[in-house]
Amino acid sequence: MINTILIFPVIAGLLMLIVRKRAFDNFMLNLYALLHFIITLVLTFGSHAEKFTGYFAVDGTNKLFLLILSFVFLMVTIYNNGYSKQLPVFSNIKINDKKICLYWLMTMAFVWAMTGTILSTDLGISWVFIEATTLTSAYLIYFNRTKNAIEAAWKYVFICSIGIALAFAGIIFLNISSGNINTLNYAELYSHAKSFDTLWLKLSFVFIAFGFGTKMGLAPVHFWLPDAHSESPSPISALLSATLLNSAFLVIVRVFKIMNIAQCDTYARLILMIMGILSLFVTAVFVYHIKNYKRMLAYSSIENMGILVLGTSLGPAAYYAVLLHLIGHSLAKASFFLTSGNILELFESKRIKSVSGMMSAEPKTGWLWILSFLAICAFPTSILFISEFLIIKAMIFEHRYLLCLLFIFLLTVILYGISRAVIKMVYGEVSEDKKNIIENNKQKIKVSMYIPQAIMLLIVFVLGVYIPPVLNNIIRLAVSGF
Amino acid sequence: MENGFIILFGLTMLYLAATSRIIAHIRLLIIQGILLFLICLCGYKHTPLLNLAFLTVETLVVKSVIIPWFLYKILKKTHANRDNEANIPHFYCLVIASVILMGGFLAANYCIEPMKMISPIYFGVSAATIVISLWLITIKHKILSNVIEFITMENGIFLLSLSVAKEMPILVSLGVLLDVFIAVYILGLFVNEINKEFKDLEVSHLSELKDYEYND
Repeated sequence: MINTILIFPVIAGLLMLIVRKRAFDNFMLNLYALLHFIITLVLTFGSHAEKFTGYFAVDGTNKLFLLILSFVFLMVTIYNNGYSKQLPVFSNIKINDKKICLYWLMTMAFVWAMTGTILSTDLGISWVFIEATTLTSAYLIYFNRTKNAIEAAWKYVFICSIGIALAFAGIIFLNISSGNINTLNYAELYSHAKSFDTLWLKLSFVFIAFGFGTKMGLAPVHFWLPDAHSESPSPISALLSATLLNSAFLVIVRVFKIMNIAQCDTYARLILMIMGILSLFVTAVFVYHIKNYKRMLAYSSIENMGILVLGTSLGPAAYYAVLLHLIGHSLAKASFFLTSGNILELFESKRIKSVSGMMSAEPKTGWLWILSFLAICAFPTSILFISEFLIIKAMIFEHRYLLCLLFIFLLTVILYGISRAVIKMVYGEVSEDKKNIIENNKQKIKVSMYIPQAIMLLIVFVLGVYIPPVLNNIIRLAVSGF
Repeated sequence: MENGFIILFGLTMLYLAATSRIIAHIRLLIIQGILLFLICLCGYKHTPLLNLAFLTVETLVVKSVIIPWFLYKILKKTHANRDNEANIPHFYCLVIASVILMGGFLAANYCIEPMKMISPIYFGVSAATIVISLWLITIKHKILSNVIEFITMENGIFLLSLSVAKEMPILVSLGVLLDVFIAVYILGLFVNEINKEFKDLEVSHLSELKDYEYND
């Protein structure tokens, strides 16, 4: 099973390179998305453990991550079918079939790299696949071929490469601390973690947290994120935000468990807590004056990644909440980014100022936008409400009252910043000339560009009331991975 | 012998900090590649031939020929000969780099006493190389210089991985992947594209994307 999701894209990619026909390449991507989802369902809900070459396996920890990746990928692919028909979005450079084929190919490669990261049972392999995600997604960020896209892609590649290089240094330190064990397999690292040299282990964690934290978009190493998310095509922004950041988080979680077993967890938690609070702080400062709605969503991703690591730093009481937050954020943010793609098509601007009266001009997009906002700002019954509530509860139980107050304060500021922009965009009047543009652009938006968001939002709001026992089991399994 | 080469490697970082001609930086990358090759050779007396051959190809071919050649081609195309608008004068750069290098040695020798697997000189020089490179990235203005400093940082990490190579050869191979990654992407694709679009490889041109001003 695992071999199919890992080998299929390689063969399909080669075929796509040879054939280079729009219809064929599109079909291949759709087939991969469907196959990925079906296999993931079998792997996650089936009871037997799966392995592939000793380096890839489905275990309790990565089931949930794989499920989220697979589902979001399926939704994004459905959206892509409508979206790719009018690529590129107001770029003067003519994008021919060849480039669009490459876009699909790279999307597939990107998902393949993330799947590899999630499934790998070896820190070295995870690292290689994280590197591969940078390679593949850089092309996608650069897809629109504008000056800004180049700038964003350059920053992304450069900052992430430095992060990856630092993470590599961290892996070397981990190897030094492990003495004569000489393995990077997670299970073996866990079984020997008690005998590790703590000084080197602590040094290693700093490098790994900063290295993979760069990829995850944690402050203070988040600088690539707003640029890359705002300049890439919207489906890619959705993939970046909802799945790539999670993959990097999984690696951090795996290393965090080593720290836990080696009883250096107080130190690791402190680092994660600092990064988490900083991420919230950075978002609160920048989101307030934001002028570009895609950048606003990117900052919101930084905030949510901050919440994830902050929750992790609180200890076992909050792990369940962290995983709920992970699910909620991925679905809600993917829906938010996909809807932003619709808005960009309609209004031809990423500027918050140029968008108003969405509700009267295009009610469907308007509703999706406002519902995505409600989902992400933890409005009950969004699952994010439950997760944030549980995180706050964990803070109070741990007697971290000051942290709790700061957390709530920063969240409120961010909520205000985002809601101001969202409400401005949804309500108000549309000018006459804008109306004509919107009318012209309306037919560009196909049905497949509404459905994925609606499905994801439905799930987010239903999960807040009812979590199916099967899913609950998977979350419980993942909790043991911390 | 091995230690001598490592110290020479550390000294190349001082040269990097003190010069502004980019062609000199590229030559320095070649020297670093050769030094890394010699270090491999010294430490690898009793290792399998295959491993040694792999490392030779990596250090001599990739690090000393392919990457510098790429950079040289870009340099010729862009005529960006000097990076003399660094924020800090060269003399101070040299002083700061020396202090960092010394700090690396001191930290390795005195602070981290129980080093079981790694010799202090390896750790000191590679840590100093990483820090000096990161710091130089922040003060230089040309994209090409930034790439060069990134490669020196990567060389520092490669040196670190060599110190554990006997126990864990796979780590060195992973380090090589990082190199290939740079060669393929940063150099082959991006610098060319940025050049097409911006005409001059200045970092300051890459500042369109901001939060407080309008951009589309």
